[in-house]
Amino acid sequence: MRVFTAVIAIAAGILILGGYFLQNIFPALADVQTLLLNWAIIMAGAATLVGIFNLISVHTDKVRRREQGSIYSALLVICLVAALLFGMILRPDHSAMKVVMSGIIIPVEAALMGILTISLLYAAIRLLRRRADVMSFIFLITAVLIIFSSVTLPFANIPGLNTFGRWMTQILALGGARGILIGVALGTLTTGLRVLFGADRPYGGN
Amino acid sequence: MSDVIKCPVCGESNLPDQEFCRYCQSRLQPLTGTLKGADAAIKPGQVPTKKNTAELEPILPQWLRDARDSARKSAENDAAQAGRQSQESFSASSTPDLLAGLQSQAGNEEEETPDWLANITGAAPKPKKPQADSPEVRWVELGGAKDFAQEESDAEPFTPSWLEGLAPTEPQSDELTDWFQQTDNSQKSGQPEPQKPPFDTSFSAPVEPAAESGDTPDWLKKMAAESAQSNEALFDDSSKTFDAPSTDTPDWLRQMAAEAGEQTNDPNVPASDASDWFQQIAADDGSKNNNAPVISAGTFDAPSTPSSDAPDWLRSMGDFQDHPQGAVPAPGAEAAGFSEAGFGEPEAAASSAENLPEWMKDFPSIDNEQSAPGASPSWLKGDAPASSAGAELPSWLSGTQAPEQQQAPAQDEAAFGDIPGWLKAAAPQSSVYETPSAEPTPAPATLSFDSPDWLNAFKSIDTPDAPDEVSPPAFTPDSQTSENMDALFADMPDWLSNATDTSPSTSSTLPPAANAEEITPGELPSWVQAMRPVDTGSSARSSSTSLSSDQTLESRGALAGLQGVLPSVPGFAPTSKPKAYSIRLQASEEQQAHAALLEQILAAETEPVPIASFSALTTSRGLRWFLVAAVFAVLMAVLFMGTQIFPMPVGVPPEINGALQVSQSIPEGASVLVAFDYEPARAGEMEAAAAPLFNLLRQPNLTFISTNEIGSILAERFISGPLADSDKSGFQVLNLGYLPGGQMGIRAFAQNPGLTSPQLAGITSLSQFMALIIITDSPDSARMWIEQTSFTRGAIPMVVISSAQAAPMIQPYYDSQQISGLVSGLYGGAVFEQSNGGIPGITRTYWDAYSLGMLLAMVLITGGGLWNLVLGLRNRTSMAGGTK
Amino acid sequence: MVFSPDLIAGVLSFLFTLLIFSYLLGDNPLFRIAVYIFVGVSSGYIAAVVFWQVILPRLFTPLTNALLSGSMAEKVFMLVPLLGTVLILMKVSPRLAGMGRIAMAFLVGVGAAVTIAGALTGTLIPQVLGTINAFDMIAATSRNIQSFEAIFSGAFILAGTIFTLIYFHFGARPKADGSMQRFGLIEMAAWVGRVFIGITLGAVFAGVYAAALTALIERISSLINFIGNFF
Repeated sequence: MRVFTAVIAIAAGILILGGYFLQNIFPALADVQTLLLNWAIIMAGAATLVGIFNLISVHTDKVRRREQGSIYSALLVICLVAALLFGMILRPDHSAMKVVMSGIIIPVEAALMGILTISLLYAAIRLLRRRADVMSFIFLITAVLIIFSSVTLPFANIPGLNTFGRWMTQILALGGARGILIGVALGTLTTGLRVLFGADRPYGGN
Repeated sequence: MSDVIKCPVCGESNLPDQEFCRYCQSRLQPLTGTLKGADAAIKPGQVPTKKNTAELEPILPQWLRDARDSARKSAENDAAQAGRQSQESFSASSTPDLLAGLQSQAGNEEEETPDWLANITGAAPKPKKPQADSPEVRWVELGGAKDFAQEESDAEPFTPSWLEGLAPTEPQSDELTDWFQQTDNSQKSGQPEPQKPPFDTSFSAPVEPAAESGDTPDWLKKMAAESAQSNEALFDDSSKTFDAPSTDTPDWLRQMAAEAGEQTNDPNVPASDASDWFQQIAADDGSKNNNAPVISAGTFDAPSTPSSDAPDWLRSMGDFQDHPQGAVPAPGAEAAGFSEAGFGEPEAAASSAENLPEWMKDFPSIDNEQSAPGASPSWLKGDAPASSAGAELPSWLSGTQAPEQQQAPAQDEAAFGDIPGWLKAAAPQSSVYETPSAEPTPAPATLSFDSPDWLNAFKSIDTPDAPDEVSPPAFTPDSQTSENMDALFADMPDWLSNATDTSPSTSSTLPPAANAEEITPGELPSWVQAMRPVDTGSSARSSSTSLSSDQTLESRGALAGLQGVLPSVPGFAPTSKPKAYSIRLQASEEQQAHAALLEQILAAETEPVPIASFSALTTSRGLRWFLVAAVFAVLMAVLFMGTQIFPMPVGVPPEINGALQVSQSIPEGASVLVAFDYEPARAGEMEAAAAPLFNLLRQPNLTFISTNEIGSILAERFISGPLADSDKSGFQVLNLGYLPGGQMGIRAFAQNPGLTSPQLAGITSLSQFMALIIITDSPDSARMWIEQTSFTRGAIPMVVISSAQAAPMIQPYYDSQQISGLVSGLYGGAVFEQSNGGIPGITRTYWDAYSLGMLLAMVLITGGGLWNLVLGLRNRTSMAGGTK
Repeated sequence: MVFSPDLIAGVLSFLFTLLIFSYLLGDNPLFRIAVYIFVGVSSGYIAAVVFWQVILPRLFTPLTNALLSGSMAEKVFMLVPLLGTVLILMKVSPRLAGMGRIAMAFLVGVGAAVTIAGALTGTLIPQVLGTINAFDMIAATSRNIQSFEAIFSGAFILAGTIFTLIYFHFGARPKADGSMQRFGLIEMAAWVGRVFIGITLGAVFAGVYAAALTALIERISSLINFIGNFF
């Protein structure tokens, strides 16, 4: 099983890479790549269902064991099953589902995001009390300057502030962001190659 | 002996003073050797250091704790049980329980030796507490408490009943009594007088032997049982033994016999006496102990053939016990009876083999018995010949030993040759056979000179203090024939042989040095050699002192629990009664220190260590509520009033300008692919940022797709929301819905949109769209779209409408010209809205609140940050001062 | 009174917004109820979306068509994702989870290859080229950027990129006392890289705060609008 799964992973990866870089030489590899990618899309959708089933089983076990907060788990399972049934019956684009979307999902998520405003403010204010080092000062000064440069004043703008703010975001911050992106790309490249070489087997073949 | 020690493991030579092999680190010195420092062995008379080991109790094994608990309980019940104990006799139906011995030991640490025996050993007898040595735990192992009730009731207060008929009355002072008294008076001057007759607690003495009987190997028990079954034969043989003249009797015995013959011409008198007291035993006790083999008088009268099952040495033991002098080791016999086979003299023979280390080790202390004038039992008084110097033996002894003495010199070598060399060295008999011929005949004034070496070996180390005193053998093994002795020690195991010779007399005038020369460690069995407590270099010395009485209780190894099994170190000859080794944990200081260290380590492992940083993680509820109030108050006020105080931004950044140019360049009715990849949480921001761009498009043919499950309905919401509010009603929308697989889905869609999404039949390339607009709140989502479409999108423009939080990470892609424009957040939307002719949209509604909220944040972060910086510095300063 | 979907959605939105905001006063059961309901409804909705927009149109419908009228190759090609889906769904059962490794291996292999190609061609090479092209005076001139400004900006971007990458270089040598120490120049460059990273994260923080503030404004605005509908 270990060898079989590794062979599948490596073979699929090589075929996909061939579709990227060799399709001009072997046009069939582009079709093979598309075919394999479409298979992968379907399996990825099924994997989403696996995650939801796992969520159901976890909270059902909580209810069965009558753990602390099991009432919330029961509420979760009930709402999940109800939404699933209505979604399966009425389809997701039904007006009822839009009501659920507009009345529950979006408000809750947006409100949670709004609460984050207070949390971010609190953290920024308390930062220097915990860590009064150079990096903290740089972090906060940058944040304050960018915040200040992204607003307009009612009566008069501070000259140069907007330009300085933009210079920070598009020059200084860009350099750091590019370094991070390149670093992430290098890490991704290394990890992917390890998977294709069979050194890493995150699918459980170890 | 060489001056090097050969390692038994690797065979390399090591210096004799090394404890461990320098090559393989194996132990060279046996663990039973002389210990040093805190681990040094307790010397005779030294009281073990009291150690507080209560904290180590929990780590004891369960069985040991149970034993200790039982011992404590028994000790508590001593007082209550003592009264009954004096009236109760013990049954021989003992339970062969190993732990039972531990119980009795624990509960009777100080009373495990009978007083009479303690007096014999010369130890200062303690004030007797008759009630103190009858714990119930003994009965658990020894039998029912009532088994001996009748026996005790019939007995005199201090003498067993079975001894009454045997022993003369006290006033009838015989020679041996006088001899005992004399030797005691001369030897034990500084020792306290015994306060009670030696037999007052005679039944408490067997406790320890009984306890050891529990430790007796099975084979020995079996042998005991066999001997019990063949007791008739044994006694038959014993009668023959006494009838037949012994040829092994040394000269001194002959001399003693000659002297004794003047008083007692009938050597069979003791035998008859023995029959009497045996008969009395049978009458008094044997009938009461159903579990014990009843020995009738006829057993002794009617001779029977020797049992072929019984080993020779056991038979000799039986012979030996059949001898009237066998009554001397009556305590030992009792012990045996308590432990295994019941109360009976023949059983004592068998049990004596089992408990041989116990009762035989008592012999060496007989010397010390001299210190107790009244220590001689009455029966012994009656049997012992009257001799002030002890030169005279009892008549029965003289009668029986006289013939033996005549042939003893002749049989010395023969008998010695039958004994293995190592046994010769270990056994005290070796000196018996050598010294009489080698040494001149000792003066009759002292028995120590008259008696052979082995008998001298029975003398304690106290003897040098009184060299003129004799050590009359209360128990006279010389009454045995040499054949019996040979058979005895030939069949006895090594440890038993050693036990018999563990009575080296350092004061002996005839040290068995010559014999010790014959003892070579190589001749000893390896396991015996390993367990010898003396170092190899001093093996000769140890062998020379092997005749000393060794009361050492083996505490480890296979011989654990046995006493006097191994020869002790030179010079160690207990002058007092054997120390009672408690099973209570005796830990040295070093061990206690190690235990304490281990406890500290364990405690440190289990003790929660507070993390210092946690102390600073206290949340300020006041600050949080202040922030909530401030932010909500400002925002609600601005939004409720709908003010438009803050002007919209006027400057157009390059990335927004690029997006503006793309939107303006899209022809009317062109196909535009729009990816809705944001979470519902940022729907307000994304809709506000994207709406101005879509309002700028001219009747586009929009194709919505999302890599987010919720994205499709967010697209529906966007269509029915911000776009519905605009006047752009001429656009067409195709919602492809959810595109699973993340990068894989994007790549598949970019490779062939028509194949991936059936609704796009006929569109085989991404370049067939006029523009690609990515609405996302995640830099990862934007990166995936940028990366996976870089191969296929060709020259079509890509505009990213992102959340403000993702803009810094998407900015490099605009800088590298991978995307054509970037509109980020409400600010970007406001700029784009301003560039769209100033049509008021969502951004205008939010802009005042947004600006005030951002300014409030700037002020709070700046002011609050500085305030907290000061507080933090003050705290650190105060903490630093407190530390100093 | 007619309960229109918009009214119901408005009521629910108002109610759940308040429930979530109640967290500002502290954790409370109302907040938990709202969150658990949200998770349950979202999960159910996602499951329905996956079925209606993935499983059904991409698996069942093509499979049915292939089985009914497709060629053998089409049938085989559609049976493979069906088999993969079944194997993936086996991971629901702990007893059969091992069978899901095959499908997971396929997904991981495909995903790794896609990630490699995308990172290489979409980020690594373009970003390196973008850093180099920052000093392209011709391109700068075409974008109405002066040469001095382009060089100045390009130098900062280059420095930021390099120093940030150096910061992520964790190679070190052991010291005499056993501790690990980076090379001196690397350590100094890494410190500079930390400054750039600090600036970048400061910008991200400001963006996150702006996004959160926008969301809060949107929620408060919706509350005010909902209340305003009744007056």
